[in-house]
Amino acid sequence: MRRTRVLWHLIKADFLTRVRRTSFLLTLGFAVFLGYQTFAGHIVMRLDDYRGVYNSAWVGALMGVVTSTFLTLAGFYIVKGSILRDETTRVGQILAATPMTKSFYTLAKFLGNFAVLAAMVLVMAAAALCMQMFRAEDRTLHLWTLLSPLVLYALPAMAFVAALAVLFETLPLLRGGLGNVVWFFLWITLIAVAVEPAATRGAPLTQANYFRDFTGMPTMMGQMRATLLQVDPKFQNGFSLSIGGTPPKHRFVWNGVQWDPVQLAARLTWCAYALAAALLASIFFHRFDPARESLARRPKQATPERAPVLEFAAARQLAQADPWTNRLDPLPSSSVKNRFFSVVAAELRLMLQGHRWWWYAVAAGLFIACLAAPLDASRGGIILAAWIWPILVWSQMGSRESRYATGPLIFSAPYALQRQLPAVWIAGVLVTLAAGGGLAIRLLIARDLHGLAGFAVAACFIPSLALALGVLSGGSKFFEALYTVWWYTGAAHHLRGADFTGTVAASSTPLIYLGMTLVLLAICFTRRRTQLAYA
Amino acid sequence: MTGCRESPAFREPQRSHLRTCPQPIARGSRLKLSIENVGKCYGGEFWALRRFSLELKPGVLGLLGPNGAGKTTLMSILATITRASEGKVTWNGANLAADPNALRAVLGYLPQDFGVYPNLNAQEFLEYLAAVKGLDAAAARRRIDQLLNLVNLSDVRGRPLGEFSGGMKQRVGIAQALLNDPQLLIVDEPTAGLDPEERVRFRNLLSDLSGERIIILSTHIVSDVEATATDIALISSGALVAHAAPEELLRKVEGRIWEWVIPSADLNAVKQCYRVSNAVRRSDGVHVRVLTKDPPAGAQPVPPTLEDAYLDSLSVYRAGAVA
Repeated sequence: MRRTRVLWHLIKADFLTRVRRTSFLLTLGFAVFLGYQTFAGHIVMRLDDYRGVYNSAWVGALMGVVTSTFLTLAGFYIVKGSILRDETTRVGQILAATPMTKSFYTLAKFLGNFAVLAAMVLVMAAAALCMQMFRAEDRTLHLWTLLSPLVLYALPAMAFVAALAVLFETLPLLRGGLGNVVWFFLWITLIAVAVEPAATRGAPLTQANYFRDFTGMPTMMGQMRATLLQVDPKFQNGFSLSIGGTPPKHRFVWNGVQWDPVQLAARLTWCAYALAAALLASIFFHRFDPARESLARRPKQATPERAPVLEFAAARQLAQADPWTNRLDPLPSSSVKNRFFSVVAAELRLMLQGHRWWWYAVAAGLFIACLAAPLDASRGGIILAAWIWPILVWSQMGSRESRYATGPLIFSAPYALQRQLPAVWIAGVLVTLAAGGGLAIRLLIARDLHGLAGFAVAACFIPSLALALGVLSGGSKFFEALYTVWWYTGAAHHLRGADFTGTVAASSTPLIYLGMTLVLLAICFTRRRTQLAYA
Repeated sequence: MTGCRESPAFREPQRSHLRTCPQPIARGSRLKLSIENVGKCYGGEFWALRRFSLELKPGVLGLLGPNGAGKTTLMSILATITRASEGKVTWNGANLAADPNALRAVLGYLPQDFGVYPNLNAQEFLEYLAAVKGLDAAAARRRIDQLLNLVNLSDVRGRPLGEFSGGMKQRVGIAQALLNDPQLLIVDEPTAGLDPEERVRFRNLLSDLSGERIIILSTHIVSDVEATATDIALISSGALVAHAAPEELLRKVEGRIWEWVIPSADLNAVKQCYRVSNAVRRSDGVHVRVLTKDPPAGAQPVPPTLEDAYLDSLSVYRAGAVA
């Protein structure tokens, strides 16, 4: 009973801490936005040229799928950071001094994360209800049919994400930006492994599929296909969940998921996975031991020995008896000038400092690979690797001052807006140019001016995006998440309009990205201006 | 044996060599910081500072006040970190709102809470801030060498700041505040995290630096102010309670401080009758120090301390506020 009370208060405090922050409103706002996009028909679930009539079953399934796919991706980034918050606020040290066990703490963090994600699911449920009523294709409300995909598909998926966020935070390697990048690829993998290739071509789903199905989409897809085949025997088994595009021409009636014990067991299995991940996290949890906290690199030397604490009178005597051997010479006034390029050099050094030798080795390897590989391989593939590698360098831009609380020191220096912010941006551009420099040389040799222009714009666009998101959010997570998704969906697939690398003619739109760069720069200057008391 | 030790505390600057500008008196004499009716409102309803006016000339101003009095808010306004909601701050006649960079160029600021970049070492961190402050590389290197010596971190200059103890980070903070040889030095709770020896040395450093610049030392540790301040401003609930030289504040309570020894059992009764500024248990009983006009029976008059003056001014102010 006492343990339950402790757990309840841990979850309550964690939940209240989050919901009383402005960012929680943004989180709910994101859920509302996603709900609206679905309601407005911008997110479409289709089978060939069919979609379901907007009855409780179809609307519930649609909202369930949207929630368990898109919201699980974003939800991880939203909830990750709760242990770090306890670390930075020093509340963690107070908790560590209580009898609370590590598994209790990670369990509470998992449930706190889950509560936040469940609030988002609740918003989606409300959106589902509105959608069915206002779309008015079939207003007969079957509450369980409408909500069951959200309860049985989305909530277990959210629970798993909530636990993974805790697990990532306890693993030293995945605690920071690398974890944010890894999550995106893990998320893609989770979705990909759920469906066997045969199933995508219309073969019936096996029981194993249910247990691998993270989002619930393949299970529902299987049942929808079966229904549609009865309506239209020529149905080709096509299934997609897409953003935008032309709406399907035909409609069919689908009456909802036929639940069976195996499916329910499969969903419970995902809850069990979540619990296991939360408990696994307790093994790695540092319990706020300062020797194991945020330092990426462990001290090479032993912990410094504290100087003996002297009684004040003795200290006064010692201080007065100490020989005064140091001197502080005057600083000539000529030595204080507006030296912009010194600030650029300092920012560049700050960005590149502190990585391990292999980080530089891989960066150099990618530069050489861009230079040595055939031009098409360079601009089609290697540049992608070269421009994902420094993601953790870019993601510090604009947020470093708030992350490390150095703002008061830097923003009280003269011309912080006019000098320091542009210096950060230029340093970021230089890093981007250097990372993909091998390709630039190849394009120059090949006299591919269009490719070169695209490259130059991309080299300006990436750090502008990083700086703007860093200044706006005060953290690195936003950029790390957005850039990874953009890089994969837009650049890696050379999707016209979304390929910011600009080096492949077919998908390159340098003028659009130049415009976006200017807008992003305007945003970060405006935002930083409002952050500073005086510009 | 490679085990590291906490580096020794501050080294005192050699006073005979402690020169911070070619013509200190000439420069210092024209420095003036004016705070005119400054107020700061948070969230549209809470005034952390209200109608605060003060004029500062070279010397050390000790800003004393209880927690939440508005000291840090005032520091942040003067350091150009936050903007006053009302009133005006001028530096040598120039309005801070119109030209904040004029002040920033000669400002050294040690905030109460600040961070460092854990992957940089002390030398690199100071080099970075020197660049941001606009110092040229050669002058910055010389200055950083001297400052690291001064705060006694030169032996550990190559160690990542993430490995530093709280006191060592505080010394890095002190060094960065002095990087540009500031004419206005604002230090907010500078001795937090320093051990007693370091505290004494830091106070001496402040005294040595004070001749030709304005130093504002904000703290709630009265003994820190007692040792260094040439002027004291008492602040409570966002208002200026008193601004005077320490001697003047002490004169106000002269002849009103009494001390005597009582049995432990009587302590509560004494506390109800008198304003007790200190009570120390010794083998012969409790040595009680009180502020009162009329001498208690058996009490001896004792010379006042700044702490007595501080407590007296605050209680007089609070009594007036309540009335």
